[in-house]
Amino acid sequence: MARTEPKKDVVIVGLGWTGSIAGIELAQEGLDIVALERGHDQNTVPNFEYPQQIDELKYGVRVKMMQKPSQQTLTVRRSGDETALPYRSLGSFLPGNGVGGAGTHWNGLNWRPMPEELRLRSYVTENWGEDIIPEGMTIGDYPVSYDELEPFFTQFEKVAGIAGKAGNLNGEIQEGGNPFEGWRSEEFPMPAHKPTFDSAKFGEAASAMGYHPFTASAGIASTSYTNPYGMQMGPCNFCGFCERFGCYQYSKSSPQTAILGALKQYPNFEYRTNSEVLKIETAPDGQTATGVTYWDEEAQEEVFQPADIVILSSYQLNNVHLMLLSGIGGPVYDPVTGEGVLGKNYAYQMNGGVSMFFEDEQFNPFVGHGANGIALDDFAINQNDFGALGFIGGSYWRSGTFNGQPIRSMRLPSGTPAWGAGWKEGIKKWYGHSMSIGSHGSHMAYANNHLDLDPTYTDRHGRPLMRMTFNWQDNDLRMNQYMKSKMEPLAASMNPDLMQSGFKGPGAQYDVRPYQTTHNTGGHIMSTNAREGSVNRYSQAWDKHNVFVMGAGNFVQNTQYNPTGLVGGLAYHTVNAIRTQYLSNPRPLV
Amino acid sequence: MKTFLRILAGLVLVGVIALLAFIFVPVQRTEPTTELAADWQAAEGQGELVLDAGDCVACHTSDDGESLAGGRAIASPMGTIWSTNITPDAETGIGNWSFADFRAAMIDGVTPNGTHLYPAMPYENYRLMTEEDMRALYDYLMTEVEPVSAANKDTNLDFPFNQRWGIRAWNWLALTHDAGFTPAGVSDAQDRGQYLVESLGHCGACHTPRNTFMAQDGVTAESESFLAGGVVGGWNAPALRGDDAGIKGWTVSELADYLATGRNAHSTANGEMALVVEHSLQKLPDSDNIAIAAYLKGMDGDAFDLPEEVAAAGPIATPEAEADDAGAATAELLVSADPDMPLGARLYSDNCLGCHFASGKGAPGIFPELQGNGLVVGSEVSPLISVILNGAEVPPTAKRPMTLRMQGYADRLSDDEVAELATWLRGAWGNDAGAVAPEAVAEVRDSDSAH
Amino acid sequence: MTDLPGYPSRRNFLKGSAAGFALTGIAASAEAQTEAPVSLDEYQTEYLNEAEWAFIMAATARLIPSEGDGPGAIETRVPVFIDRQLASDYGTADDWYMEGPHDADAEPNRGWQTPLNPAEVYRQAIPVFDAWCQDTHGAGFAELDEERQDAALTSLSNGDVALAPEVRDFWSLLLSNTKEGYFADPQYGGNAGMQSWVYIGFPGARAAYREWPERHNIEYPLGPVSISGERA
Repeated sequence: MARTEPKKDVVIVGLGWTGSIAGIELAQEGLDIVALERGHDQNTVPNFEYPQQIDELKYGVRVKMMQKPSQQTLTVRRSGDETALPYRSLGSFLPGNGVGGAGTHWNGLNWRPMPEELRLRSYVTENWGEDIIPEGMTIGDYPVSYDELEPFFTQFEKVAGIAGKAGNLNGEIQEGGNPFEGWRSEEFPMPAHKPTFDSAKFGEAASAMGYHPFTASAGIASTSYTNPYGMQMGPCNFCGFCERFGCYQYSKSSPQTAILGALKQYPNFEYRTNSEVLKIETAPDGQTATGVTYWDEEAQEEVFQPADIVILSSYQLNNVHLMLLSGIGGPVYDPVTGEGVLGKNYAYQMNGGVSMFFEDEQFNPFVGHGANGIALDDFAINQNDFGALGFIGGSYWRSGTFNGQPIRSMRLPSGTPAWGAGWKEGIKKWYGHSMSIGSHGSHMAYANNHLDLDPTYTDRHGRPLMRMTFNWQDNDLRMNQYMKSKMEPLAASMNPDLMQSGFKGPGAQYDVRPYQTTHNTGGHIMSTNAREGSVNRYSQAWDKHNVFVMGAGNFVQNTQYNPTGLVGGLAYHTVNAIRTQYLSNPRPLV
Repeated sequence: MKTFLRILAGLVLVGVIALLAFIFVPVQRTEPTTELAADWQAAEGQGELVLDAGDCVACHTSDDGESLAGGRAIASPMGTIWSTNITPDAETGIGNWSFADFRAAMIDGVTPNGTHLYPAMPYENYRLMTEEDMRALYDYLMTEVEPVSAANKDTNLDFPFNQRWGIRAWNWLALTHDAGFTPAGVSDAQDRGQYLVESLGHCGACHTPRNTFMAQDGVTAESESFLAGGVVGGWNAPALRGDDAGIKGWTVSELADYLATGRNAHSTANGEMALVVEHSLQKLPDSDNIAIAAYLKGMDGDAFDLPEEVAAAGPIATPEAEADDAGAATAELLVSADPDMPLGARLYSDNCLGCHFASGKGAPGIFPELQGNGLVVGSEVSPLISVILNGAEVPPTAKRPMTLRMQGYADRLSDDEVAELATWLRGAWGNDAGAVAPEAVAEVRDSDSAH
Repeated sequence: MTDLPGYPSRRNFLKGSAAGFALTGIAASAEAQTEAPVSLDEYQTEYLNEAEWAFIMAATARLIPSEGDGPGAIETRVPVFIDRQLASDYGTADDWYMEGPHDADAEPNRGWQTPLNPAEVYRQAIPVFDAWCQDTHGAGFAELDEERQDAALTSLSNGDVALAPEVRDFWSLLLSNTKEGYFADPQYGGNAGMQSWVYIGFPGARAAYREWPERHNIEYPLGPVSISGERA
């Protein structure tokens, strides 16, 4: 150990959304706080500034905002029979890097889970009986309810600046909103965006079929906005560079636009970049953590940072990895015996979609934003009859241009040559003349999908890489095929010249190459007792009461939505517990 | 350069005429306007408030130095003036100064040994301070500020400006007003605002035009020139009164927001004003920023409502304004994305449209409106050029802690293109200001690269 | 706050001199319109050797041919893009996890598993493919006529050309790098004159369409701008 820093009240590991939330809420308590961030510092200007940010090759294709596998990665196998191989170049998912984390390069799709999703096992059992739960599916109830989390969802939406239209205000269904959503105590803090051409077409077709379309909620500003911390957003100009990019326009909800400027005003808060946490250190009695050891990139030395409270708020994969390396979060899960908890219930997302081509219509696909569009929840988890349909799950659908970047988003009808004169004709003929509908579906938890340490590969610090064991499962693939069967007729009703579907079906194997989603969940799940998960309802580690673990690793199974809304709500719920219950009397809160 | 010659001529002229008298007659100190009891005590926080409202720290602190220990270089056409140590250090600061010494420096510009201060120190304005505030500030400096040993740097100006008796000559012309504050008695808020504007805030130092002798052309509202707009370092310090004042269309609430946070529904603070917001105004209580706003709005006799607070906490969603009649044609052209649009409009579409929008109205609180914007249509064009080339920054403030930065376009736009764009901006949305020449752009760019 | 470039400092008393502009930044004049680049014949490669350059010129010319409507890979200088990319940290896979052991023969859906970086894949695969062309079509790829070149590329794309597992991704790299060069911002050497953007109707780096979401089914008419400010 080269160096020991003076002790802090709180050390925060990772300065993304949840680290920033913990930072500012605990700074308000007057605590002495340090946040350690593996990556570099970044601010809207200069890091995301126009026009340098509008560079598809650099950020969209070479993914320069992301975690570099040379710095940190994991191995992947599809089953316990396979040898895991490193995720050497980024493909399927894109963990972020630097201050703001994935909160800088997301699409801004902010959703709350459905109340039923947070008590899924009970919901299934009550309605269809436990027998419909397939063998190997390890779904459970979250140890905290929608009603308990509602004030914290609202708080996060105000901070993050979410645009939308409520569909259920205190139980009253609202015109123009999502009638199937969980209740909201307040209207969205910003009005919904206006629809682009494709969204409007989709909305009309959906209405004609008796569905209930509404404008997707967006962490993308529709107006000028000031949040409760005084932080600001500017109205989005539909530049079409959201996902994989930082927002040059101060329009995307991110730690930079929502929290960091306010947080930096607190003299009792500091943050250190290029500081990668290697391990959480444990007291001799094993009851608490004493702080963290990190690698100071500039000094090229290991540093011990003692602290009374450790907030683990790095990306889900990195949180689980750190817990595995540190022996925090309970015994490692064994899928054969079902014993153990850490690494359990890793889940992902089951997505599909339909593309439609209209030779004579112009969609200007570059006019859009990451959370643009009209959505519907008629096939959501709380709308599907699991018993009759033969799967557990659901999805939301959405149509709306989000980028027209030509390298990545050149949608062509199947049969168009991949190169040569035919390809060149195709790109002229079809660019701007297509639209799509996406299905964003739930992913259940299974014994076979889990995380542990790899026996072979190590990182640059000599630590074992984490190993992901993951493959698609029949239940979710059946759900996906059901969405296909329902979405194709809707798409056909819009009378496209051509259309084609992309839904994984039976036998699909996980392919790490194409981008799918960065919604990696589970691994340090919440539970009602220490035998079932790693953390309690306050995201407090069962085995170390001064360690609080943020993020989607808490998810018992994934929901059908993008995870940020639930991540934000849980973070405020956790920090509220620390403020109101823990600080005055540090102890296990459950 | 012309200004420089004018100052030179003025000072030399006056200096020569009065030379002998000024060199040999002892300096008289102005008497206090009020006699305070010996045991008079300032209210809690009063001294610090005076320090903040007077913006003392900004000049009397160097970039990497201790607060109030001086050593900041103040560029002037005559040479570099170094600010001094005003901590209570006996050797290098003002620890040995009596209250009378301190008052003399503040209102007469004279140090205990009779040396005249350069009028970089705005004693023209501090001369209007109340005796109570003077005492509060003195007591604060002497008892609340840690003494710092930091020797003052000698200010060595070229002849004739190194002849400090010349300043005495200048004072004779500039300090014709009585010491002390005389409220207009309109309302409590406006009287407070008047005091902050005239005295502590020394707003007139920039916003009042300078006369032949480079003195402020009036230091109270009794003068028509007071706050009628000045030119400082090639920048327009806009008029704060009269029909052409940029703030004419602003409410008291909007103006107070601007003072406290450097941003409001119309505009953002730039350059000098951004520094005033950062170092001084954001630290004042809401009531003081409202008072300043009320006084300024009341100068022209406009009726107004007083807001209860400044820059309220969010969540607040504010839609941006649509183009008005004057701006409609420009907005329509930009929205059309017509490939045949003139080059200026094309450059706007390629560089500015993203944030400032087609309407010319920007977005409240974050992207300033360009229609009628004083920086866009000002008599001085170098600020507009400079912002296009180098960008701009609004500092974080207590109530609006986000740093708002605009990136510069120095490496994306040529001199011809910047000139074309600036000229177009000065005629868009009903703006009616003259063209900008590429040579003016080159001058700003070259002056930037000289450092 | 540090004084910003271009702003007078409040400490500039009675300013009026240009000395008030404090400054950093790039002073270079910024003529947005770039000079005409050297012809491809005279281009000095950064990574590719002579034979590789000849191959890339010939192959990209067939992947995105010049004939017909719209620019081809040669007019848009895609070969320059590929050469520069292979010379960059992309070619050397600086960001990737390249530690062993490697299982280059793993199923393709396990991702990049070869020990080679992209630049090495080009270096090792081009001679193999050229030799295959020699054996099958009687000449190296660059010497074949267009019809045979297309046939050879079709074989390559179908997996009919035997390549070692370490370089089996050569085709997909070549094709995706070619399209990247065609569509990327011109600063990377390809998409010369933003011709591909003009061709398909992509406005490039404009990124400002506040009023356009509501303009349904109306073609956005204005041509592109590049990151450097080039207009078309």
